[in-house]
Amino acid sequence: MQPLANVTQFKPATRTGAIEVRNVGQIFRTSSQDVVALEDVSLEVKPGRFVVLVGPSGCGKSTLLMMMAGLRQQTSGTITINGAPIPQPDPDRVGVVFQEASLFPWLTAEENVEFPLALRGVKKSERREKAQDMLKLVGLDGFGKRHPHELSGGMKQRVSIARGLVQDPPVMLMDEPFAALDEQTRMTMGDELLRIWAATGKTVVFVTHSLTEAVYLADEVMVMSARPGRIVDHLQVSLPRPRTYDMLSGETFGTLRDRIWRHIRKSA
Amino acid sequence: MSATTLRWLIIVALIALWELLPRSGLIPELFLPALSSTLVAGWNEAGEYGHALAVTLYEVAISMVFACGGGILLGAIVGSLPRPRILIMPMVSSLYAVPLVILYPVFTVWLGIGSESKIAFASIYGFLPTMLATAAGIQTIDPQLLLAARSMGATLSQRLVRVIIPAAIPTVLSGLRVGGALVIVGVVVSEMLISSAGIGYLISRYRTILDSPHVFAGVLLVLFMAIAFNAAIKWVEGKAAIWQTGTRGGESATEEIAPARTLQPAT
Repeated sequence: MQPLANVTQFKPATRTGAIEVRNVGQIFRTSSQDVVALEDVSLEVKPGRFVVLVGPSGCGKSTLLMMMAGLRQQTSGTITINGAPIPQPDPDRVGVVFQEASLFPWLTAEENVEFPLALRGVKKSERREKAQDMLKLVGLDGFGKRHPHELSGGMKQRVSIARGLVQDPPVMLMDEPFAALDEQTRMTMGDELLRIWAATGKTVVFVTHSLTEAVYLADEVMVMSARPGRIVDHLQVSLPRPRTYDMLSGETFGTLRDRIWRHIRKSA
Repeated sequence: MSATTLRWLIIVALIALWELLPRSGLIPELFLPALSSTLVAGWNEAGEYGHALAVTLYEVAISMVFACGGGILLGAIVGSLPRPRILIMPMVSSLYAVPLVILYPVFTVWLGIGSESKIAFASIYGFLPTMLATAAGIQTIDPQLLLAARSMGATLSQRLVRVIIPAAIPTVLSGLRVGGALVIVGVVVSEMLISSAGIGYLISRYRTILDSPHVFAGVLLVLFMAIAFNAAIKWVEGKAAIWQTGTRGGESATEEIAPARTLQPAT
């Protein structure tokens, strides 16, 4: 598709999207005590992979994701994206999608998608064109003039994904993006996300509570434990792509899901 | 019958009662002069009322600038910085509960009985709610929106202009509505207490000579001023609030989209 190819050509060197996390620790200091949120976390994500971080609440998976986004700094250890550290948010390398779609309610869908481009002074016509392409990609062609309150929960998340993709970063970080959606919408959005991922070739790190969602979406699942947050297991999901609904009841799916559940039950 | 027609009927009925009750003698003219005699009284002294209105409007306008400008500015500072907030907010909130009108005599000692003391009093009177609303508006901005903006590489000034200000506008406007109304109250009340000009002064002077039609003519003018101010705020709100807090558009917008399969893998 032409528009996407255009975007790619302006920074070919950064189009890799490898993530390396080395011995990362995070300690929250409170007045009474120090809480170890993350302890010696190391992981590697190869370019173009779909990796899911799963774990009980409070295991620090979102914290880890925020560090990869440059929105928070670790107490110790290093994180590199494309081989370089990320001391502050860098939308050229990393796009972030949050749990609440976090759309600006006073802007239309397309203005929301244009927002990151507007921040860097991209011309209006160019912005509009890219926003249109992205909205088309996420299946919202023709919804650009609506305000967020005129969109359903699933549609808002689509806009949010389009906004994360508009600067064509090699890495997409997603912090429980479908957690607030009802189950049916959630299933549809999972399929949609896989389609978008296949179409764009991004590296995706996806945080979730849902075991089913984790196995259904991922190439690899990293399981975390709580207090202190650590990676306790690393699973390869060998299910073929495209993933289908039938796989949910298959044996491989069940085995993987059980294995994750055992870890989470232990630490909860 | 729609609510709007009903509302108009109530207004028309009130106006009719205003004319009929005093005329029929049910209410003495001293308590409530008929609407027609009130309008005639106002019309006969149009020059005097016009001059008083000009004085009052001038005082209201200047006080508005101080109250709203200062309230928004200080509210923004207090709302966005935690340290001044901790220091100032409790004081301002408790000050808000004090009937400030008790300070008005002090203002006249400092500034005289001319416009200056009215402006000072009304400015402070309208300043407090505006400042409190602005501070609250800025404090209650969804932190997720600021986080999202930061993840997209927004600098501090970009976050201020593109996120904080637009997100705070609805709350600030509701503060302006209260603050502006209090400015009008402040000016008129202080004119009634101690002064030498303005509508409040006229009302109070005619009251001392028991000239009810002239008192009510002044009351009508204040009423129109308040209504005009309210209409102006409504107009601004309509311009600024593109999204209505009451609309639940999201509920009707179901997943009405077919999965888009138009794009082919690009990489």
